[in-house]
Amino acid sequence: MAGFRLIDTVKPFLPFLPEVELPYEKLQFDDKVLYTVFIGLIYLFAQLPLAGIEKDIVPTINDPIYFLRGAFAAEPRSLLEFGIFPIFSTGLIMQLLAGLKVIKVNFKLQKDRELFQSFTKLMIFVQYFIFANVFILAGYYGTGLTIFQIAVLNFQLVGAGVVATLLVEIIDKGFGFTSGPMVINTIAIATNTIADIIGVSQIKIDDEGHTEAQGALINLVQGFRAKHKTILGSIVSAFNRDYLPNLTTAVIVLIIGAVVCYFQNFRVELPIRSTRARASNTVYPVRLLNVASLSLSFSYSLLFYIHMTAFALLTLVGKNDPSNIVCKILGHYENVNNILAVPTFPLSMFAPPRSFFGGLVQAPLSFVVFPAFIIVTGVWFAYKWQGISGQSARDLAVDFKEQGLTLAGRREQNVAKELDKPISLASATGAAVLAAIAIAGELLGLKGKATSMVIGICGGFSLLELITLDYQQNGSGSSLSQVLGAPTNM
Amino acid sequence: MSSTPPGGQRTLQKRRQAQAAKDNKAKQTPTSTRSAGFGGSSNSILKIFTDEANGLRVDPLVVLFLAVGFIFSVVALHVISKVTGRIF
Amino acid sequence: MAGEKGNQNENILESPVKFFQEGNSFLSKCKKPNFKEYMQIVRAVGIGFVAVGVIGYAIKLIHIPIRYVIV
Repeated sequence: MAGFRLIDTVKPFLPFLPEVELPYEKLQFDDKVLYTVFIGLIYLFAQLPLAGIEKDIVPTINDPIYFLRGAFAAEPRSLLEFGIFPIFSTGLIMQLLAGLKVIKVNFKLQKDRELFQSFTKLMIFVQYFIFANVFILAGYYGTGLTIFQIAVLNFQLVGAGVVATLLVEIIDKGFGFTSGPMVINTIAIATNTIADIIGVSQIKIDDEGHTEAQGALINLVQGFRAKHKTILGSIVSAFNRDYLPNLTTAVIVLIIGAVVCYFQNFRVELPIRSTRARASNTVYPVRLLNVASLSLSFSYSLLFYIHMTAFALLTLVGKNDPSNIVCKILGHYENVNNILAVPTFPLSMFAPPRSFFGGLVQAPLSFVVFPAFIIVTGVWFAYKWQGISGQSARDLAVDFKEQGLTLAGRREQNVAKELDKPISLASATGAAVLAAIAIAGELLGLKGKATSMVIGICGGFSLLELITLDYQQNGSGSSLSQVLGAPTNM
Repeated sequence: MSSTPPGGQRTLQKRRQAQAAKDNKAKQTPTSTRSAGFGGSSNSILKIFTDEANGLRVDPLVVLFLAVGFIFSVVALHVISKVTGRIF
Repeated sequence: MAGEKGNQNENILESPVKFFQEGNSFLSKCKKPNFKEYMQIVRAVGIGFVAVGVIGYAIKLIHIPIRYVIV
């Protein structure tokens, strides 16, 4: 009919794509809490170590995406090696492309919306499969794997991807609160932050069997009675150890959280008045962080794709051999601490430095290109997204008209135009501010923790707002409120 | 040929019509599920799955049980490789 | 409509200086939260974040014995 459309390609796969049923009726507040909590717990529990890889082998290549993991709830060498990255990025990018009319889809038609959704899901599964096999072939899980081992690894990695997608889908479809990817992301980020500060699990740090606590604060306390270090040495080490979270990064992360909280309530208030009733002047707030953390998530999605592509090229084509032509152009990976694969020159421009002073000396260009990339993509995304997400100035103008509101001192016909200026400016500026906060942290050498904190706090705030709203509307009969006492005051 | 003077009501009407047509055109294919009026992502929230598409229908509780089952199958894999003492 | 948007877009992308000025003036026009509001946000977000994190970490603690058993 209308020629070839990308979303139609999903049709042959439809019978095989699992699809969660919509709830028959709106769920009670308590049921939503239960579903959300259980899904979060299942997700965290699924961060199990992978079965089928040998324990003592030294992998040929280490973790190349260590600084991107925090933003997407990914745990290295676990079932959720890629976390919810394919879900988040595919959802974001597909919706952006559809909004910009790159992908033809008519959201007014039920059929089209369903196809678009199924297509997104298929893309997510395909990406889990591709990423898993890139990592397997690159030797990340060791070399000389048997066919059976590869099959088992595929089963685990892709299976976990499918499970994560379905968990997200359950929340999205109204069994849990608001948005699946953001809920899971926020839960995982909160958990990791807590683990970094007061995690008690002991991790082996050297061949002699010495262990140190994962949590920075616990480590400081333990340092006083450690046998392999002097007290002074262990205090210094608690603040600057490189292999596990240290107190300095913990403090910086907390400061970042506080700064993000401060920017949450930045707003410009536009005076509005009712066209029906006289003398009822109120204000319409335009929030600075209009698109919240989505702009940062978008920038990191792009970074992830860049690094995955580079990783595939460098390890599969270039064999990570500095003399190979591909590696001469793109750079190669160097082992650091036996857990990280740190990219060298050209590719390193798109990665944050591992430490502030070391980075200044070794990779000064990272301090220019990386921030520029994050800010430009973030601002561009925020500007586009506010226009297509369904709450743009034009949609608002329609809402205003229905409610009989107008901007004070403006002509009614111009409401859309007058609203467009502050909203798009707020979105773009907000994205730049968030990007700047995240970059400031990253350049200090937080290896992704700064970004994940910004995304976590922002996402948490957006979710909290909607959950509070939900609670006020439907939570009056909640038995949880009797247990917990008064609801959180916002 | 009756010539109407320029300006006046008719021009305004035309302008209004043109504006309405433009608005209609702009709204014809919405840019997202939310602007089409069916929920979905908003400016600060990303939602991916909002409609019930065709496919293998499953109940959410079944998914939760399957997820737990999947995790335990991986644990079982660990146990098997531990017991047999080698990697398959 | 489209052309207009394109122009604005170029403004944002091609003249960072102008964008910076506009953004800066926007920031200064913004109504900032006062101390009470700020503490309210920090408390609400902080309590939620810590509560979720502690529960989550409790679950992750189960991993420790499992790791001992299987590794």
